[in-house]
Amino acid sequence: MRYNEKELVSLSRQPSERAAELGMRGPKKGDVVKRRLVKLVVNFLFYFRTDEEEPVGALLLEQCRVEREDSQTFSIVFLDEAERKYLFECDSQEQCQEWTDSIIQASYEFMRKNLIFYRTEIHRLTGKDPLEQYGISDETRFQVSSRQQLMPKDT
Amino acid sequence: MKIHGKILTHFQTCDSPVDKEGYLYKKGERNTSYQKRWFVLKGNLLFYQDRPGDRNLLGVIILEGCAVQLCESEEQFAFSLVWSGPGLRTYKLAADNQDAQEAWIKALLTANHEYLSLLVMDLEKQYRGETDRDERQTEAMKAFPNDPKVRSSTLPGPTSVRPAQSVFWSSATPPPTRHPGPVGCKTNQMLLTPATTSKPANRRSPKLWPKRNANVVPISGPAPPQGEWAVIESGLKDDFSKLHEDFGKEVRELIADWLRRRQDEEVVHEENLIDFG
Repeated sequence: MRYNEKELVSLSRQPSERAAELGMRGPKKGDVVKRRLVKLVVNFLFYFRTDEEEPVGALLLEQCRVEREDSQTFSIVFLDEAERKYLFECDSQEQCQEWTDSIIQASYEFMRKNLIFYRTEIHRLTGKDPLEQYGISDETRFQVSSRQQLMPKDT
Repeated sequence: MKIHGKILTHFQTCDSPVDKEGYLYKKGERNTSYQKRWFVLKGNLLFYQDRPGDRNLLGVIILEGCAVQLCESEEQFAFSLVWSGPGLRTYKLAADNQDAQEAWIKALLTANHEYLSLLVMDLEKQYRGETDRDERQTEAMKAFPNDPKVRSSTLPGPTSVRPAQSVFWSSATPPPTRHPGPVGCKTNQMLLTPATTSKPANRRSPKLWPKRNANVVPISGPAPPQGEWAVIESGLKDDFSKLHEDFGKEVRELIADWLRRRQDEEVVHEENLIDFG
């Protein structure tokens, strides 16, 4: 499967608020924990060998579940048939919590669900669709559901 | 760099929302002719394959960091995804007609993560402003005008819209403040200058909101903005509005460009008629 690798590598160099050296273990039997510089950029989790420019790999953070394994360890499980689980060891409970929250919130699908929630609620509270002011009410991306449309309330 | 293709393939085939799909022509890298491909846009990923429903995914284009532009091409209704930087490429695509071209350009321009992130933050601010106003009005209607109650902390957050996988959210509280990646620098700057947050949390222009309960007297001025919210809220609505303006401007410029080209073509045809006459 082809993809725009150079451009993705370029993305991995963007500034990120969530980057740290963590212990990382892959999903295969026999995988051991390795120190990696783990970096969250948009909905991708990049991991580098320390001091290397190009990431070893990139994980798309969609269709996955983030779980707390213990006080300092979290895991990401990808929801394909294989249910691959990646483990990440942090230095503190706080760091572990921050990473867990950040990864969950980085997902495009998570943001879309939030958007739909706020759109629906604001409409309910005010009678107005907040996307109207931007002229994007009809965008497929922001629909409440594939069938439902936000009907303007009777004034 | 390893891309973990199975995760991508799974995302493409699962039942998460499709933002746009359809046939487009894609210019090859080595074979420079345009090939017809079925494209599926999901979030900030543009997948392509030979036909709809094909098991074999040909490839994916990650739509981060690129500009969407009209391009000069022997193909009609062409546009391109341009990455600027040493060694970075341009994808050339073409649609079947102008409407499709316009629709794809619009969808791709706004597919990036940052756009959605800013929009969500904008709506979240509006939502919290609205629930703030509700609670303060409720308080004002009670007979305790001298007792400004702190607003209740249990807002019905997006957790009420749980997906089937309830462990998606690690806690029951509304998600904490979102710090977008690419604009992280901006956020950091705001964090260093709290002086800019003297504005009340829910100021807004009258034209956006219907006047409600105009006769209620607020208790004791606007509620002080919450700690971290105050810093993030100032100026962010302007950021999304500006982003929206910029995109709108781009689309308007593209449309003006098309109209100009159409007019040029019409002029050429008329000249031909005169020649043949």
